[in-house]
Amino acid sequence: MATIASGSHEQDLYRDVTERVCKITERPKPPRAWYIAIVFSSSLTVMLFGLIGYLIVKGVGVWGNNAPVFWAWPIVNFVFWVGIGHAGTLISAILFLFRQDWRTSINRFAEAMTIFAVMCAGIFPGIHIGRVWFVYWLAPYPSQHLAMWPNFRSPLLWDVFAVSTYASVSAMFWYMGMIPDLATLRDRATTKTRQFLYGLGALGWTGSAREWSRYEKAYMLLAALATPLVLSVHTIVSFDFAVSQLPGWHTTIFPPYFVAGAVFSGFAMVITLMVPARRFFGLKDLVTIKHLENMTKIILATGTMVGFAYGIEFFIAWYSGVRYEQFAFINRAFGPYAWAYWIMVSCNVISPQLFWFKKFRTTPWLMVVVCIFVNIGMWFERFVITVTSLSRDFLPSSWGYFKPTAVDVLMFIGSFGMFFTLFLLFCRYLPIVAMSEVKAVMDDGHDHH
Amino acid sequence: MNQSQPATAGIVDFLVERRGLEKAGIGFLVIATVIAFFEDSPLGKLSAAYLVAFMFFLSISLGAMFFVILQHLVGAQWSVAIRRIAEILMAPIGLLGVLSLPILVPLLLGSSYPYWWNNAVLRVDDYIVSKKTPYLEATFFVFRCMIYFGVWKIIASYFSRLSRLQDGGPRADLTEQMQRKSAPSMLCFAITVNFAAFDFLMSVDPHWFSSIFGVYYFAGCAVALFATLPIFLFIAQRSGRLGSEVTVEHYHDLGKLLFGFTAFWGYIAFSQYVLIWYANIPEETVWYGAREKGVWMGVSLLLIVGHFVLPFFGLMSRKVRRNRPALLGWACFLLLMHWIDLIWLVLPSVPGAKTGVGLVDLLCLLGLGGLWSASVLRESYAAHLIPIGDPALPKSIRFHAE
Amino acid sequence: MSDETKKEIRVVGVLAQFSGKQTLVKAASEVRSKGFKDVEAYSPFPIHGIDGALGIRPTILPWLVLIAGLGGGVLAMAGQWWTNTVDYPYIISGKPMFSLPANIPVTFEVMILSAASVAFTGMLALNRLPRFGQPLLRNNRFLRVTDDGFFLLVSDDEVAEEKIRQALEEAGATDIEVVTESVEESKIPVPLVYGAVILACFALIPPLMIASARGTTSQKPRLHTWFDMDFQPKLKTQTPSNLFADGRAMRPRIKGTVRRGGLVKDTDTGYTSIPAVGTPGGDSVQEWKVEFPMEVTDSMMDRGRQRFNIQCAVCHGKAGYGNGLATIRALELQQGTWIQPTSLHADHVRQQPVGQIFNSITNGVRKMPAYKDQITPEDRWAIVLYVKALQLSQNATLEDVPADMRETLKASE
Repeated sequence: MATIASGSHEQDLYRDVTERVCKITERPKPPRAWYIAIVFSSSLTVMLFGLIGYLIVKGVGVWGNNAPVFWAWPIVNFVFWVGIGHAGTLISAILFLFRQDWRTSINRFAEAMTIFAVMCAGIFPGIHIGRVWFVYWLAPYPSQHLAMWPNFRSPLLWDVFAVSTYASVSAMFWYMGMIPDLATLRDRATTKTRQFLYGLGALGWTGSAREWSRYEKAYMLLAALATPLVLSVHTIVSFDFAVSQLPGWHTTIFPPYFVAGAVFSGFAMVITLMVPARRFFGLKDLVTIKHLENMTKIILATGTMVGFAYGIEFFIAWYSGVRYEQFAFINRAFGPYAWAYWIMVSCNVISPQLFWFKKFRTTPWLMVVVCIFVNIGMWFERFVITVTSLSRDFLPSSWGYFKPTAVDVLMFIGSFGMFFTLFLLFCRYLPIVAMSEVKAVMDDGHDHH
Repeated sequence: MNQSQPATAGIVDFLVERRGLEKAGIGFLVIATVIAFFEDSPLGKLSAAYLVAFMFFLSISLGAMFFVILQHLVGAQWSVAIRRIAEILMAPIGLLGVLSLPILVPLLLGSSYPYWWNNAVLRVDDYIVSKKTPYLEATFFVFRCMIYFGVWKIIASYFSRLSRLQDGGPRADLTEQMQRKSAPSMLCFAITVNFAAFDFLMSVDPHWFSSIFGVYYFAGCAVALFATLPIFLFIAQRSGRLGSEVTVEHYHDLGKLLFGFTAFWGYIAFSQYVLIWYANIPEETVWYGAREKGVWMGVSLLLIVGHFVLPFFGLMSRKVRRNRPALLGWACFLLLMHWIDLIWLVLPSVPGAKTGVGLVDLLCLLGLGGLWSASVLRESYAAHLIPIGDPALPKSIRFHAE
Repeated sequence: MSDETKKEIRVVGVLAQFSGKQTLVKAASEVRSKGFKDVEAYSPFPIHGIDGALGIRPTILPWLVLIAGLGGGVLAMAGQWWTNTVDYPYIISGKPMFSLPANIPVTFEVMILSAASVAFTGMLALNRLPRFGQPLLRNNRFLRVTDDGFFLLVSDDEVAEEKIRQALEEAGATDIEVVTESVEESKIPVPLVYGAVILACFALIPPLMIASARGTTSQKPRLHTWFDMDFQPKLKTQTPSNLFADGRAMRPRIKGTVRRGGLVKDTDTGYTSIPAVGTPGGDSVQEWKVEFPMEVTDSMMDRGRQRFNIQCAVCHGKAGYGNGLATIRALELQQGTWIQPTSLHADHVRQQPVGQIFNSITNGVRKMPAYKDQITPEDRWAIVLYVKALQLSQNATLEDVPADMRETLKASE
C-alpha cells in the first residue's frame, strides 16, 4: 500500500492547472498595472454615476437627443453593449453543444465579460425612460395605482423581457460553472476570511459523483436553453428597429444580421481583453495562440456575414423599387452621416479581412489592433442604423442632424470604466479559467495506470 | 464495389446498368406534361410544378455542398465517415445545371411562366416591374444562373476530387489544402445561394422583396440535407455497401443537426413573418396575403405545425435521435414538409398555378427525383462510400458522443 | 484528537484516495461489486463512466425543466391574453388585442427563464446545496478533491471497518482513513441563530412601514421623493402672477382681435334680429327666438345629449340640477369663490325661450363663461334642445305621456 499523498503524473497535471489559475487570486498583491488600471477605471465609473445623477436631476435634455433623433447615443450604447455580451454565452453554450473543447480555457472569462457588458447595456435604456424611478412600471405587476398593464405587443417590452432573461440566465450559467472552482479556492484558502467567503460561494460543494452527475445535466440543459436565448436576444433587439416602418430600420434580414454582428463584436472584445490578461496573469499555456486563432476565424466569418448583410440590404433597397428605401441607403453612404458609414464599413468589413493572413491570426498585438477596430466599427454600425435613419424621416421639414453633447460622450466612456472595473475585480478575486472544465477535457493519454 | 448481395444485385443492375431510374424519371415528366395540358393553364401549372421539384433537389445538393465545405472549414473529425455520402449527394449539381434548361430556355423565348415579370407589356405598365427591369430580364437571368451553376460545379468537383485523391493513401496535405480552400468556397457558396434564391424563388412575385429570403432558402437546404443524409446512410448500410463504420453516434449527431436546423428554419420563417406582419406595409404583406387565401391558409398553418412545431418536439428527445426508425421517420416527414414549403413559396404567386397542389406537382417531383437519384446512385459506384484515406477517419469511427 | 474524544463522535465513513480518474472508476465498480451499498466517489471534475460504476440513476432534472418551460410558456401566453384583452384592452398600432405573432417573443423568453431557473435551482435542490459545515470538508486530505484528489467514501454502517479497508486496499487506494464528525460541530452555533433571527426581524421593518403607509390615508401632502413634473416653472391657469400689470397669469384677449373662426354672426346669438353685435338688451327692440332655427330631429337630440354630457354636465350635473362633479368638489373645498350654477329646472329658467338659453351658452351668464369659441352654433342648438328635454323630463305629468303608454307606467309604479 502506497502512502505517498501526491504521486501520479496525472495528478501533477491537474495540480498544475489549479496552481496556475488559483495563484492569480491567491498572491498577496496583484501586479502594479492592475492598481493603475483599477484606479483609472473606477474613477470613470464614478464619473458615470455622477452623470447619471445629473441626468436624473436635470432630465434627459442633457443629452443631444432631439427631434427627429429621439433614439440616439443611449440606444446605440445599449445595442453596442448587448452585442458585446453575446460572445460569452455563445462560447459557453453553443461551443459546448458542438463539443469544441478549446472553449474551456476561455469560457469563464467570456461569460464574465457577458455579464458585465449586459450590466452596462442595462443602464442605458434604464436611464433613457426619463423618470428612472418608475422603471418598475415596465414589469407586469398588478398595480392598484396604475390600474393598467404593459403593452405586450410592443417590441420595447419584448426587449425588457429578453435582456432581463438573458442577464439572469447568463448569471446563473456563470455562477453555476464557477461553483466547483470556488470550492477549489475555498479548499486552498489560507485565511479564515477567504475560506468563509469562497465557502459561501461554493455552497458546500464536495465534488461527489452524484453532485457531478446532476451538475453536468443541469449544465447541459442550461447550455441548450442559452443557445436559442442568445440568438433571441439580439433578434429581439433587432425587432425594436425592424418592426417599424422607417426605411433603413425595416428590413427582414435584421434578425440574423444583428446576431452575427453581436457575435462579431463580442469575440472582438474577448480578444481585446484576453490578450493582455493572459500576458499579465501568466496564462499563456492555458490560453494558447490556437485558442486566439480560432476566435479570429469566428471574427472573420461573422465579419464577412455582416458585410454580406450590408450588401444584401443595399441590393434589396434597390430591388424593392421603393424610393424611400433607396433614398435611405443612398443617404447612408453619401448623406451627411457618410463619415460614420464609411468608418463602419472600413472597420467592420475591411479590417477583419486581415484575418485571412496567418500572421494576423497568430500575432497577439495585431489581433488586438484589428479587434479594437472591429469594436469601433460595430459601435458605428449601431450609430449609422439608429441616427442616420431617424435623422431623415418621411417628412423633410423635420429632418435634422444629431449632435451628441459632452454628457453623451462622457457617459459612454464612463460605461467602459464600469465594465473594466468589474472586470478587474473579477480577475483579481475569482477563478478566471474554468479549472474543472479544463481538467475534464485534458488528454488522459498521460495516465500511467 | 460491393456486389456480394445477390438479392439486391438484380435491382442494382436494373437501376444502374439499364438506366431504370432515368427512364422512370423521364416517363413521369412526360406524363406530367400530358396531364398538365388538361389543366386550365398548362404552362403555368407545369412550369410551377417543375420549378418546385427542381428547387427541391437543388436544395439537397446545395445542403450537401454546405455540409462538405463546413466540415473542412471547422476541421471536423466526427463527420469524416459520413462526408463521402454528402459528397455524393452534391455531385448531381452538374445534372441540375442541365435540368435548369426547361426553366431558362422558355424564359429566353419570351415565356412569362413561371416568371410573370418576363412580359414586355408589364415592363411599361407596371411601375414596380419597370423599376426592376435591369435585373429581372431574361438574358441577365440566364447569365446569372450560368454563374451560379459554374461556381457550384467548381466547388463540388474540387472537394470531391481531392477527397477521392486521398483514397489512394492518407495524405494530410490534401486535408490542409481543402481546409484552406474551404473559407473562400463558403463565401462564394453563400453569395450564389442567396442570389439564386432571390432569382429562382423570390422573383416569382416580382412585386415582393425580403432581404432574409436567401437565408430562408438556405435554412430549407440544410433541413433537406440533414433529412436526406440519414436516409441515404441507412439505405447504404441496409444494402451492405456501408459497414459499421457509421455508428449510432453519427446518426445522433445528424439528428441533432436536423433538430437544430428545423429550429433555425422556424426562427428565420418567424422573423420574416413577424417583421412584415408588424410593419404592415402593403408592398410586403401582399405576399403573405396571397398565402392566407383559400387553400393556402391551410398550407401555411400546416407548415407552422409540420415544418416546425411537431418535428421540434419530436426531435427534442435524445432517445428519438438515437433510434434509427424514429429518426428516419422524422427525416422523411421533414423532406415532405420541405417540398410543401417550396410549393408554398412558388405556387400562390404563379398565374395558373394558384388553385392548389395537384398530380402534376407530384409527377414532376417523381420525375426529377428519378433523374437526380440516378445521378447520385451512379456517383456512389464511382468511389468508396467512406473516405478511406482521410487521416481523421479512425477518429471519426471511434467517435463517441457524450 | 485528544480534545475531540470528549465530544460525541459519529463515523461518516471510510475515505480512500486514488491516483487518477481511471483508477477511481475501476475501484468504484470493484468495491460495489463486493456488495457495499453506500459508496460515493469524489473527484475534481466529472468523470465519464463513474455513473455506471456507482449505479447512479439518471436525474429527473430534465423533466422538471421541461415542465417548467412549458408551464412558463403557458403562463406567459395566458398572462398576455388576460392583461391585454380582458383586464386592460387597448388597441395599439392597429394590432388585434390578442396577436399571437407579437406575443411569441415574451412567451419564449419566459419559457427560457423559467426552464433555466429550474435547471439551476433544481440542480442545487437535488444536490441538497447549499449545505455548509460538511464533515468531509474538515478532513485535510479530502480538501484536495477540488484540486487533484480522487476519493471513494464507503459509509455502510453495518459492515466492519476492517472489511471496508481491505476492499479499498484491494481496489488500489493510495491512502485510507476513517472520517468522523463530532455531533456538536455539525450544529449551527447558537449566537449565530439568534443573530440571524434578530437581523431578519429588523429587515422586516421597512416593508411593514411601507405596507402600513399604503393602507392608511393622511391629510398631509404627499412626500415628494421625486418631483416628477409636479413642480414646473410655468404659470398655471387661474393663478396670480406679478409678471403682468394686472396680476393675472392668464392673458385676456387683445382688444380688437378675433380668434380665427371665432367671429360671432348675427344668426349665432339667439335673437330673431339684432341691430348691432354684442349689445343684447340695448336700445333696439330684440326678441328671443322661440323656435329652433332648424328642423328638430332624433340625431340632433342625441348630439345634444352627448355635447351636454361633455361640455355642461361637469358643472350643471347630468340631470341639470347644478350639482356636477366640479361643483361638488368646489363646494367641498369651501373656498367661498364658487357660485353654484342655477338649476336648469328652476322656474325662471324653464320659462326662458330657446333663444335665451342659446344666448347664455354663447355669451355666458353671470360667472358662466361664453362657450361660443368651444362649441359650434349647431351644437349649441342641439344642447338647447337637450336642455329643453331635460326640463320637460323633470317636470312631466302623467298627461305628457302618450295615452297608450299611461297604463304600463301606472302598472310599473
